[in-house]
Amino acid sequence: MSNAEQPILMARGIYKTYRLGKVSVPVLRGVDVTVPEASFLAILGASGSGKSTLMHLFGGLDRPDRGVPGAAGDAAKTGQVLFRGTDIATFSAAQADTYRRQSVGFVFQFYHLLPELTVVENVIIAAMIRHGRFGYPAADVDKRARELLTTFGLGHRLGHKPAELSGGERQRVAIARALINEPPVLLADEPTGNLDRVTGGQILDQLEEYRRAKRLTLVMVTHDQEIAARADAVIRLVDGKVVGQMPAAALAGG
Amino acid sequence: MQDPLHSAAVYQSLLTKRYLTSKIMPLLAASAVMLCTAMVLIVWSVMGGFLNKLLDSGRTMVGDVFIEWPSSGFAYYDELITDLEKDPQVAAATPMIETFGVVSLSDDRVEGVTIRAIDPKSFSRVVDYPSMLWWKPIETPLPKDKLSEDPRLDAKRKQLMADVYNDGLKLAEVPGKDMPEVQAAVIGIEMSGFSKRQDGGFYEPRALVRPRADGQKEVVSRWMPNSQITIRVLPLDRGGRDIQLASASVPVANEFRTGIYENDRRSMFVPLALGQRLLKMDAAQATAPGFNPYDFQGDAGKPGLSTPVVTGEDPARVTTVLIKAKEGTTADQLRVVADAVYEKFAARHPGKVPSIMSMRESDLIKTWEMRQATFIGAVKKETSLVLLILCFISLTASFLILAIFWAMISEKTKDIGILRSLGASRAGIAWIWLRYGIAIGVAGSISGFGLAYLIVTNINSIHEWMGTALGLYIWDPRVYYFTEIPSRVETSKAVVVLTGGVLFSLFGALIPAIRAASLDPVRALRFE
Repeated sequence: MSNAEQPILMARGIYKTYRLGKVSVPVLRGVDVTVPEASFLAILGASGSGKSTLMHLFGGLDRPDRGVPGAAGDAAKTGQVLFRGTDIATFSAAQADTYRRQSVGFVFQFYHLLPELTVVENVIIAAMIRHGRFGYPAADVDKRARELLTTFGLGHRLGHKPAELSGGERQRVAIARALINEPPVLLADEPTGNLDRVTGGQILDQLEEYRRAKRLTLVMVTHDQEIAARADAVIRLVDGKVVGQMPAAALAGG
Repeated sequence: MQDPLHSAAVYQSLLTKRYLTSKIMPLLAASAVMLCTAMVLIVWSVMGGFLNKLLDSGRTMVGDVFIEWPSSGFAYYDELITDLEKDPQVAAATPMIETFGVVSLSDDRVEGVTIRAIDPKSFSRVVDYPSMLWWKPIETPLPKDKLSEDPRLDAKRKQLMADVYNDGLKLAEVPGKDMPEVQAAVIGIEMSGFSKRQDGGFYEPRALVRPRADGQKEVVSRWMPNSQITIRVLPLDRGGRDIQLASASVPVANEFRTGIYENDRRSMFVPLALGQRLLKMDAAQATAPGFNPYDFQGDAGKPGLSTPVVTGEDPARVTTVLIKAKEGTTADQLRVVADAVYEKFAARHPGKVPSIMSMRESDLIKTWEMRQATFIGAVKKETSLVLLILCFISLTASFLILAIFWAMISEKTKDIGILRSLGASRAGIAWIWLRYGIAIGVAGSISGFGLAYLIVTNINSIHEWMGTALGLYIWDPRVYYFTEIPSRVETSKAVVVLTGGVLFSLFGALIPAIRAASLDPVRALRFE
């Protein structure tokens, strides 16, 4: 199967349960999702529906539950999270670290910038982590970080600390950080959820433009139907299950 | 311009630097390390310096090895010295009488002292006697004598100092013009209390202001080389029986300083001949009870005892022979040599000198270390104990770092989640905190070393100041044996303490680092 035909990300029969003390809380209950290369998938769902958990599984930050021995049906199987056909749920810790360094970029609702670092350092640190001590292309990374930040309208804020930035500016820095290593997949968890509509719209416009130009695959979690309508496809999660997968046009059409 | 940190390409170094410079907590942790490092290094330097000084000074008075037969002494010592000096491992040997006595000073004070009767010429070949003599002309002031106030520097007194120095070397002085040379004593500089030790490390003779008969006042110098003292000793015969108290009045030729308070306070040198004469250890006629045919006693009608008859010569005796080793020979090696030489010597004079068996049984052929073994051992144990206690105290610095890091990691949980989401490995996260611990350890230890160096090198001035300003004298020379506090930081000790400081900090950072590394990234990202 060629890359063109193979989806870049795929979830098959994913179960995920969290334990809160003595209580088990099932978050995902047999989720199947397919994300084609260079597409924009929106995951729509209410709070607690399991959409962030699905993002973490796609990003290799977490693993699906192992199959339950003796259970009937799908619960007996261990779910798979496939990146270009390889199951990342079976990765070792080192492989999962490499996967996060090279293949995905994360953008979070609350920006998650490192407060002690400047804007440019917050972006560069992702490249430092990727390249390690040896073979770090310092000049190239520096140049690219500045270009990215300029693209997102932060060329004049390079030496500032996150505390000196507005919410929209912080999220742009977070996006630049996620993109510095040029990952094929960007996982965004309610990236505009903490911003006003105008600022959020501007950021999404910039991101969309960048995505098209670079053929980036974008998986975005949101509970906003208007934002989801920008996507190529939308899935809706309810109580840990996919209740519908449709083209975004269908969503826009109501 | 590019920040050099970026080119270092290690995100841990960037974060360590930013965390270090943006929080008060690392400053507190580094201060704790600094104080602990300084504390250990100061105590170790002073206690270790004290021990080293003790070891060095052990040889000051007795050379490397000594053979002694206390009180009654042994004869034919010249022969023993000649035998010893024939051995290639022996540099020199000298006779000495060591005894206890009392001395009456010029103010009629009576002090109990150790009297060492020596032959200054040969004594100087075994121990550095000339450098012990205090009163001599000097050109350069002592390092602490910033204002050059030492009276020995005075150009006007140069000739006087030179004369006094020569008198000290000979243990004799010429009391006046055209008068014959007389035997003299050299006393410890702390004995009389008339020369006061100054902050600059030199001695200033006191002067006494007293009224005269005409109502005027006169200033009388209390400089000891001007005065006369009286020595009293209790001589013993060859069998250890007391004879009768002997005394002699002698002038003081000079004073000596070894830096060991006990020596400088309670010992003195006199010429060997004087010591032998007073203690009846000089050469004399050997006698036996005589017979008087006209003197009958008792019913038995046997002749009684009468005037003793001369039967030969009773040779001069000394209590001790001091031996100096040649370069490259240890004191222990020299002791074996001395034992062998004495064995042959004793075999030639059976019944006249203590046998080798007696010497060995009583352990009287000793190295200087053996002589002070109990004291040195006690100081060594005390030093180890104090260091052990301090190490435990320093461990608290480790726990302080642990507590601070634990708190910081709790505060930085979200940062750890972010870094993990960017692909940082668990080991990479642990390394941030370990680096942080090392950085705090290095900064704290280096500043601790600086603080300790400043304090130790100025410890005597600080002590003087504490005494003057606060009335707090911690170092009492009567208790601590030396007149000054050791004030040198040894490189080897500094290296051990610096390394220890860094390791303790690393240890403190280890558990928090493991905790940081084991944080679940998803939970860390959700941490509020």
